[in-house]
Amino acid sequence: MANTISFCSETMKQYEWLLTRYPTRRAALLPTLRLAESDFGELGVPEMRYVADLMEIPPAFVFGVVTFYTHYRRAGTGKFHIQVCSTLSCALRGSEDVVSRITERLGIKPGETTPCGHFTLSKVECLGSCDTAPMLQCNDDYHEDLSLEDVDQLIEQLRAEAEGGQNG
Amino acid sequence: MAENQTNDGTVAMTSWQLNGQEVENPTGMTIMEAAKEHGIEIPCFCYHPGLSIAGNCRICMVESNRSRKPVISCSEKIADGLEIETESELAVSSRNSVMEFQLINHPLDCPVCDKAGECTLQDHSYEHGPDRSRFVEDKNIRHTKELGPNISIWGNRCIVCTRCIRFCDEISGTSELCIVERGDRSVVDVFPEIPIDNQLAGNTVDICPVGALISHDFKYEARVWNMDRKDSVCGGCSRGCNVEVETLDGFVKRLMPRENLEVNDWWMCDEGRYGWRHLYADDRLSQATRDGTALADDSATAALEQLLSESGPVAFLIDPFLTCEEMHLVQGLAASRPGSSVGGWLPEDGIAANFPSGFKISAAKYPNRAGAEHIFGDQVFGNDATELQKALVSSDFNTVVAFCGGHLSSGPGESWAKALSSTPTSIIFSVKSGPWLEGASLVLPATAPIEKDGTWINEDGRLQRTRSCWNPGTEPFSVELVRLQTLQNALGIRGRSLSAAGIFRELAANNDSFAGHNHSDLGSPGLLLSERPAGIAMDGGSE
Ligand code: SF4
Ligand code: SF4
Ligand code: FES
Ligand code: FES
Repeated sequence: MANTISFCSETMKQYEWLLTRYPTRRAALLPTLRLAESDFGELGVPEMRYVADLMEIPPAFVFGVVTFYTHYRRAGTGKFHIQVCSTLSCALRGSEDVVSRITERLGIKPGETTPCGHFTLSKVECLGSCDTAPMLQCNDDYHEDLSLEDVDQLIEQLRAEAEGGQNG
Repeated sequence: MAENQTNDGTVAMTSWQLNGQEVENPTGMTIMEAAKEHGIEIPCFCYHPGLSIAGNCRICMVESNRSRKPVISCSEKIADGLEIETESELAVSSRNSVMEFQLINHPLDCPVCDKAGECTLQDHSYEHGPDRSRFVEDKNIRHTKELGPNISIWGNRCIVCTRCIRFCDEISGTSELCIVERGDRSVVDVFPEIPIDNQLAGNTVDICPVGALISHDFKYEARVWNMDRKDSVCGGCSRGCNVEVETLDGFVKRLMPRENLEVNDWWMCDEGRYGWRHLYADDRLSQATRDGTALADDSATAALEQLLSESGPVAFLIDPFLTCEEMHLVQGLAASRPGSSVGGWLPEDGIAANFPSGFKISAAKYPNRAGAEHIFGDQVFGNDATELQKALVSSDFNTVVAFCGGHLSSGPGESWAKALSSTPTSIIFSVKSGPWLEGASLVLPATAPIEKDGTWINEDGRLQRTRSCWNPGTEPFSVELVRLQTLQNALGIRGRSLSAAGIFRELAANNDSFAGHNHSDLGSPGLLLSERPAGIAMDGGSE
């Protein structure tokens, strides 16, 4: 089945540059997936297939890598991907409460996406910001030293942004 | 393994200590392999001799004087001065802990699991595992789904050893499988819409140490401890993969490969594996017929004797599914009827396949062409066959005896069917019904390859012993072997019936190609026809 998607010429240039930075093509898979994610918006079946064919890596291997990491945007992820760190420091500083608060406010459990498609909630492992626990990552931004009020505020702000984005 | 070759060509040895004993093994061996040579079997899950070392299950940990922590014996190599303990407190407690860890999320499925009875997890759990669980949390749930046309995964049972994945990467070279997710959610899967559907896929089920990969063919079919097993050889192609045929209450349930490093390593192809279903196909013959009317077994034997005792020269049409022993009996019959001739038919070639691991599937979809050529001459499927066909078409023979075996083959082609029907008296041994039986005088049901008892010679010239999946004395245990001898007895050219081994002795005494060989020396890897069993002096010249 021919792929109907492909990298834009700018991304392709970056990909070719990446290849010069790694000893083998397979080794460049992680950053290439990053490129694919930013070029295509998410990593679904056609996107993974495209990367596999481009890099001449078995599609199953790419699938395994994409699902291993929590930080790739898989197909069906909401506009805002809220990843709450649940590893030790954050857990000790109340990450469970952060998760419950988000669940309460958005009506979704970890692993779920709101029906409107705006939010996906995940519990993830240490995000390397233990000194500012508890913390979460929303898309590419960190939100640290969270109190439950901070969580409420963040959600309101994101909601406004999502809805505003829809109208505008 | 060039690693242990010294300059003078001998094998370099390493001295080390195993459980307090000074021992020696060839340099470069892993602790696990070396310990096995001294009778100590270290448990393993992810290690498989045919695959690369993954070292992920940790059950094989042993105590080493070179490390504060226990080391994994499947990847750690022996070294001079190394001291290994496999039964020390540290080694035993490491094993026990790994077992407890492996069982945390494992379901109590054994009573309904097809692997039970031959499951490595069950075995190791019995030997090394705790008898109760300290885990009070909920066990996690992973997917149960079809991964391909013949295989499903019971994800909850997967211990993520990656054997199946390494198989698809290294042996079949098809790479359909991967582990998705991570941590305790890890499980084997395929890429969406790319099922595991390669010619060797069935092997992944065999090497799965637990009941995670299940073959649709065998699902809920039998408990493994109730089955009878026979060491057979697959007749699907001229490789002759060594197989174990498992039967339950007189029905074949499953074929599994048997290790033979000279032929098939630990593997077999799916066509051969699932081919046994043809034994029970609707077109399988089970009834003898005389001019179209059904005959009881005794009357069939009598009819065969009568037809042949009255005959002059006989034409014999053989197939490449017959064992060397059966062929020897045919040759005896031909020799007793002056003016007889022998030719053979070959099924059409299939497609050959070569895999990255060196595993091969042959295009020649039959097991014993080489045997026939050693017994009847190298033109038996060539010129002799052409001549025989011509003679039959012009009715030069009054009687023909034809063998139409091979439950997977499409049978002799149209021109042979025509040749057979032009002969006034045609006696046909056939596994299944087909156009070649048109107008036959006597039809005798024949055996499929795995029902035969005897030897075949594969495409490398390797003589291999195949055993019938049935027990001697029960039909259809090697029917032709029995029937041809009964016939020879009746015709007065044989004194008494022998086993396949006895017939082989006659063959070896009469045919230089086989001289020096006998059944008991073939062992499980078989022998090249050119390599005589040790200790038998050959009077030169024949090789
Ligand atoms: S995989 Fe083994 S231990 Fe697990 S349920 Fe099946 S038989 Fe039992
Ligand atoms: S399915 Fe079986 S062979 Fe494959 S990783 Fe799981 S336990 Fe190992
Ligand atoms: S534990 Fe949460 S950032 Fe490290
Ligand atoms: S057998 Fe050694 S780690 Fe699995």
